[in-house]
Amino acid sequence: MLVLVAVHAFAATIAPGLIRLLRQRALYLLAAVPAAAALWAALNVGRIHAGESVVETYPWVPQLGLDLAVRIDALNWLMVVLVGGIGALVLVYSARYFSADSPGLARFAVSFVGFAGAMLGLVVADDLLLLYVCWELTSVFSYLLIGHDSTRRSSRRAAMQAFIVTTAGGLAMLAGIIMLGQHAGSYRWSAIASALPTGGYLATALVLIVIGALSKSAVAPFTFWLPAAMAAPTPVSAYLHAAAMVKAGVFLIALLGPAFADTPLWQAILATAGLVTMLIGGGAALRQTDLKLLLAYGTVSQLGLLTVLFGVGTRDSALAGAALLLAHALFKAGLFLVVGIVDHATGTRDLRELSGVGRRLPAVAGFAIVAAASMAAIPPTAGFIGKEAAFAALLDAGEAGPLILAGLVVGSILTVAYTLRFLWGAFADKPGLAPTPVTPPGPIMVAPVAVLALAGVVVGIGSPAVDRLLARYADQFSAPSPYHLALWHGVTPALLLSLVVLAAGVALFWAGHRGHRVTLRLPIDGATAYERAMSGVDRIAVALTGATQRGSLPFYLGVILVVLVTLSGTALIVSAPWPRSVRAWDTPLQAVIGVLIIIAAIWTVRALRRLTAMLLVGVSGYGIGVLFILHGAPDLALTQFLVETVTIVMVVLVLRRLPPKFSERPIRSSRLGRIAIGVAVGVVVAGMAFVAAGARVATPISTGFADLAVPFGGGKNIVNVTLVDIRAWDTMGEIAVLVVAATGVASLIFRRTEALRRRARAPRPARIDAPRMPRWLMAGTSPEARRQSIIIQVITRLIFHIIVLFSVYLLFSGHNAPGGGFAGGLVAGLALAVRYLAGGRAELNVAAPVDAGMVLGAGLFVSVGTGAAAMLFGGNVLQSAVIDAHLPVVGHVHFVTSVFFDIGVYLIVVGLVLDILRSLGAEMDRQQQEADDDLREKEPA
Amino acid sequence: MTPNLTYIVVIGVLFATGVTLLLERSLTRVLMGVILLGNGVNLLILHGGQAGEPPIVGTTSNEQMSDSLPQAMILTAIVITLGMTAFLLALAYRSWQLFGHDEVQDDVEDRRIMELAERTEGPGISETDDAQDESPDQETVAIKAGGGR
Amino acid sequence: MSVLVPLPVVIPLLGAALTLLLVRRDRLQRVVTVTVLVATVLVSAALLAHTATHGPVAVQVGGWIAPLGIVLVADQLAALLLVVSSAVTLCVLVYSIGQGMADGHEETPLSVYHPTYLVLTAGVTNAFLAGDLFNLYVGFEILLVASYVLITLNSNETRIRAGTTYVVVSLLSSLVFLVAIGLVYAATGTLNLAQLANRISALPEGMQHVLQGMLLLAFGIKAAVFPLSAWLPDSYPTAPAPVTAVFAGLLTKIGVYAIIRTETLLFPGGRSADLLLVAALLTMVVGILGAVAQSDIKRLLSFTLVSHIGYMLFGVGLTTSLGLSAAIFYVVHHITIQTTLFLAAGLVERRGGSTSLDRLGGLAQLSPMLAVLFFVPALNLAGIPPFSGFLGKLGLVQAGAVTGRPLAWVLIAGGLLTSLLTLYAIARVWNLAFWRKPHPEMPGPEQTPPDEDVESTGEERALLPRLMVGSTAALVLLGVALTVVAGPLFDISTSAAENLLERTPYVRAVFPGGTP
Repeated sequence: MLVLVAVHAFAATIAPGLIRLLRQRALYLLAAVPAAAALWAALNVGRIHAGESVVETYPWVPQLGLDLAVRIDALNWLMVVLVGGIGALVLVYSARYFSADSPGLARFAVSFVGFAGAMLGLVVADDLLLLYVCWELTSVFSYLLIGHDSTRRSSRRAAMQAFIVTTAGGLAMLAGIIMLGQHAGSYRWSAIASALPTGGYLATALVLIVIGALSKSAVAPFTFWLPAAMAAPTPVSAYLHAAAMVKAGVFLIALLGPAFADTPLWQAILATAGLVTMLIGGGAALRQTDLKLLLAYGTVSQLGLLTVLFGVGTRDSALAGAALLLAHALFKAGLFLVVGIVDHATGTRDLRELSGVGRRLPAVAGFAIVAAASMAAIPPTAGFIGKEAAFAALLDAGEAGPLILAGLVVGSILTVAYTLRFLWGAFADKPGLAPTPVTPPGPIMVAPVAVLALAGVVVGIGSPAVDRLLARYADQFSAPSPYHLALWHGVTPALLLSLVVLAAGVALFWAGHRGHRVTLRLPIDGATAYERAMSGVDRIAVALTGATQRGSLPFYLGVILVVLVTLSGTALIVSAPWPRSVRAWDTPLQAVIGVLIIIAAIWTVRALRRLTAMLLVGVSGYGIGVLFILHGAPDLALTQFLVETVTIVMVVLVLRRLPPKFSERPIRSSRLGRIAIGVAVGVVVAGMAFVAAGARVATPISTGFADLAVPFGGGKNIVNVTLVDIRAWDTMGEIAVLVVAATGVASLIFRRTEALRRRARAPRPARIDAPRMPRWLMAGTSPEARRQSIIIQVITRLIFHIIVLFSVYLLFSGHNAPGGGFAGGLVAGLALAVRYLAGGRAELNVAAPVDAGMVLGAGLFVSVGTGAAAMLFGGNVLQSAVIDAHLPVVGHVHFVTSVFFDIGVYLIVVGLVLDILRSLGAEMDRQQQEADDDLREKEPA
Repeated sequence: MTPNLTYIVVIGVLFATGVTLLLERSLTRVLMGVILLGNGVNLLILHGGQAGEPPIVGTTSNEQMSDSLPQAMILTAIVITLGMTAFLLALAYRSWQLFGHDEVQDDVEDRRIMELAERTEGPGISETDDAQDESPDQETVAIKAGGGR
Repeated sequence: MSVLVPLPVVIPLLGAALTLLLVRRDRLQRVVTVTVLVATVLVSAALLAHTATHGPVAVQVGGWIAPLGIVLVADQLAALLLVVSSAVTLCVLVYSIGQGMADGHEETPLSVYHPTYLVLTAGVTNAFLAGDLFNLYVGFEILLVASYVLITLNSNETRIRAGTTYVVVSLLSSLVFLVAIGLVYAATGTLNLAQLANRISALPEGMQHVLQGMLLLAFGIKAAVFPLSAWLPDSYPTAPAPVTAVFAGLLTKIGVYAIIRTETLLFPGGRSADLLLVAALLTMVVGILGAVAQSDIKRLLSFTLVSHIGYMLFGVGLTTSLGLSAAIFYVVHHITIQTTLFLAAGLVERRGGSTSLDRLGGLAQLSPMLAVLFFVPALNLAGIPPFSGFLGKLGLVQAGAVTGRPLAWVLIAGGLLTSLLTLYAIARVWNLAFWRKPHPEMPGPEQTPPDEDVESTGEERALLPRLMVGSTAALVLLGVALTVVAGPLFDISTSAAENLLERTPYVRAVFPGGTP
């Protein structure tokens, strides 16, 4: 069986290819696939008849209780026959319905076969989760099929509506299934049925599942999507909206019925919903002028009937339900196909325009009448035996019986009436209406109709056999009874009822035909309810988004900070362990510096000029540096001072271009708000720092470093050893950050690929051909160099190399004394900065005639390479080795491999500064110059 | 470990001022806020380790040394902040190039939706593309379908 | 085996260095980048295979015994995410190469894009492997700074505006993270996660709350948890398509990963479970309503991204093995699918000339291939069975149902509602962009630019280059594969979840001789 499902899936995937090859004729081939399913059923009829059930299981996601578990009993078998057989017939029909050039043929083929597969899986699934999976898949394919004529807005909306409604119901059902499954500890229906919960829990689960079933079968209050779905091509309506998909809900009710029948809630909901639907549908069908819509409402009404019968849940009503399920699938699919033929032959489906069609299409009309007879429950058709059984069942169905029966009778009267309306509308000669021109359909289009119509009769005549099969299902219900499906039970109340219904139906049609409008309006209009709900969702969505998504950065930051204050603030106030002992300072000098920093910081906030603010920031930064010294952290202090200096240089470079003053927007309130948040954050963070330091009991892991630094790290400066050895992995990441930051700066300033080439060096100004002689002490000759004072340039060139040498010294001494790659690199960078400031970009190019990107790459390669190399030598990544060697001449050499790592760091820092100077310095000069030149060119004009 | 009140106060002030600047619209001010906050957090990390003599073997006893691990972390942090400063500066310059100022703009699309919200409307996507080319009978289908009557 | 652990970081970094040195050698750069990422995928796969059988592996970087130095730890969670993320980054790279070759690298200047992209990868892998709180911070910094560069590539007005928002918010989150680290070290004197697992639980209750709050905040911003999420939809959609795709796929998930890691290892017992659950609910609902309100595909997808972060938090907040396992499964699914959808959106933008629903139409008939490439992952995202999105959701709902707590049921309802609204938003995109008539302003074979006369197929190929379509298709298939192998995948995520809750496997991997 699962193989068959897989075949469907496969066929769906190759369908587009087939269509491309054979156009619409490919549908004949594809019809073989659902036919195979029907054939399978035919071959297994014996086992079902014998009361066996066919079981297959493959694990899929056992952790979730979701397995490919299949179980086929009488009911499933019946559905397989319908899904497979009718599917095949409709595909054959479609091969003629569509023309070779009809658009979206491939999409139709894929969706249709895919749907058939999903439906097959649905009706054989034993694992309810698997059933849900197929359930949703049918919704997806029906979405695609309803929207087949996708450029029409109506079909798009109908498709969406059906999709949303059925999926919503499906999700409710899923929740219900999970409630049952969790309780039973399994999702196999065969297991759940025997381990049902009780009370409110069960009730909730039931209601949720019923919602799913009703939404799928378009039973009230979910009726509205089905008529809208008639926007689909007629073959689709015949299959999905008559035989297959809309039966899914009823099928589920029928499947669960045996277990739930004696829960009053189940009976109550289904009976009421079913009856309401049956009456509304029947009434609406009588008012339709579009034959297809007439049938659609007829379907709605019949689905209501089936819901009632399976909902009542006695053995006989279930038997009647099964029989009518079969009957309805046969005649309704057939009639839809008839509508398709009429539509094709005449170009309209409007019964006000059709006339005399019956005379021109006698065969079609004949089969239509046979099918319709089944719909109107006229012997010897399947419809008749079913309806008889229904009446009989309800005559002894307990106290609720008579009431339901009454409703059923009224509904059946309506059915007879709209059946007549259909036949009259489609085929009758209408006085005062010219016969509609007809182009006769091919036999292949009529054949499926014939098969379906006659099948209805066969079932009627062969009722004993059918009875034995369906009884297998019905007997699962309580209260066995002697009733059997048959054409003749003698003169019974049921028979009389049938006659009454027929007579009344004819009368009603006559009355309506004579112009007396039968009006039976829907109490609540589902469609508008749906529209309202959806536009409501839209409005809520917009309102909420407008409220939360303000699009303003300060707002977002504010929200985050407020969350911070509330989260941590409450934690602090509620339960933080406040330390007992506090010390004011380590040395009073700290306090002095602290005050300086505070003043600078506060002043920064108030500053109106960019430069002032930046210098104040610098002051607080240097102050921090001093605190580092006092704390006993010379390396930090050194780096801090250097970084602050580099920062100031960078900022000044950029501030050259920006206006000197901040543009003040004096909105007092927002200013106060900012300050409030600021103060709150300050207090909370300070509080947390206070508490955290007090909470320390354990000894820090770093206490071990001192003893290990020399023997393992090969260096005396613990901080540096930590950076290049103990925690070198961090440093590696950090230099990666630097590389990227530098690249980012370049990318922001240069932007385009070709411009990025200028990262290397700006082309020399052409008009000056420089004399070929050693000229390192000579002042630059480029135009902007001329603007600078000669002396400064000469001096910078003199000291440049000294500074660079010093930076190298820092790099290598760093392992044992304050310094290291960072400090060294920054010093070297500053040397370059001095060169640039003194002599402009030409001067910078002379000082560093290399591509900044290259330097960065080289540095990264050296550092990471060192780490990788260690692995090649069998060590851990970034493991260092201390090498003490005695070389001639040089003498004793003490040497640690991690120095290579530090060299890489050095290179990267130099590269970073160089890149910054090239971008924020040289390139910005160039862009400025271009701007000026443009202006100069414009002036004469 | 006993907290150092001076540090605590300085940390508090640096965060207060830093945040105040961070909430400004001028990128230059934001940048300065970031730098102040960076200093503040460095001090906070430093405060987490004991103070003492420079952690250089041989110059002092191990007990006297200041905790070296926070220093290593701060060094990393400082340098990362340097990189970020450079990037933010470039960003500020670029936005000055594009907008003529260095102030952070609000998001246009969000503004549009906020206006829709003020008018209590839906997303307002045009679905009215091809209503006209629906042949009449299909139109009626659509209408009937919509109302079910 | 332990030799493999650092490679997912080292290889991309070396690759980045090479691409920087190979400036102006475009073909070679491409070769290097692709090779590097392929290698990363292979190494990660090997790690996953190993951890699945032998449990977590730890490496002491530089041979410094834990907790002195830095440890890298690869457990099932890390390894699994390594595999998925590296595979996704590879596909996205191929896509961007295709794009670059199609339109002359204007969007992605090679000398910037390739190194940065590789460093981003290294940052991601480092974050997954970090066994040390500060190193986790460094990992975050690596990938964040790289992302700053990528989001401002070829900077125009919108990108500078969006980029600024993104950069500054991320800076704040890093700052919060640093504060948290400072506090953690001050309170415990260590950074090693495995050791913190002991030392934090030794701290007074209130102190733990403070630390947990700060860490959650830092990671919550990165993971885009409501109300810390508003920055995301403003910034992501503006970047070049491949960049947006890789951000959407990976960056937020690393925030989620960090939450999972710290919540399970450092703060067991789910003290903040309810907080997480409420946040999850808000994130789901607010996020998806945001998506419904959008009229631009990229922005819409960004909102669904935020919304579905809620699902993962839901699983984490349940603090049960099943919940956590489902959350992990969902992370894997979401990394793949969200990336795929953004790549598809990129193709839509190329083919339709826009991602605004007001200016799109008829794509289904213009390019059926593209239609499939969008429809399948879209259904997957909307949690339509049988796709992985549904399976993840199913796991979460079951996990919630098992606990039976009222709050859990509220979240189940919220989750189902969210998936319905996701479907609504996605179906609307399909109806408008793919089904209705093509929009007059859309580029197409019929209207070739006047200067060069290309025959329609050539034009079509220019609109949808093979490499781009191919890489997207590969990701779509990967997403479908997640459905097929869901069983084994759930085995991995389950045992990963059990290890996380048990904690001892992780700790023992770092301290074979017991915690110091």
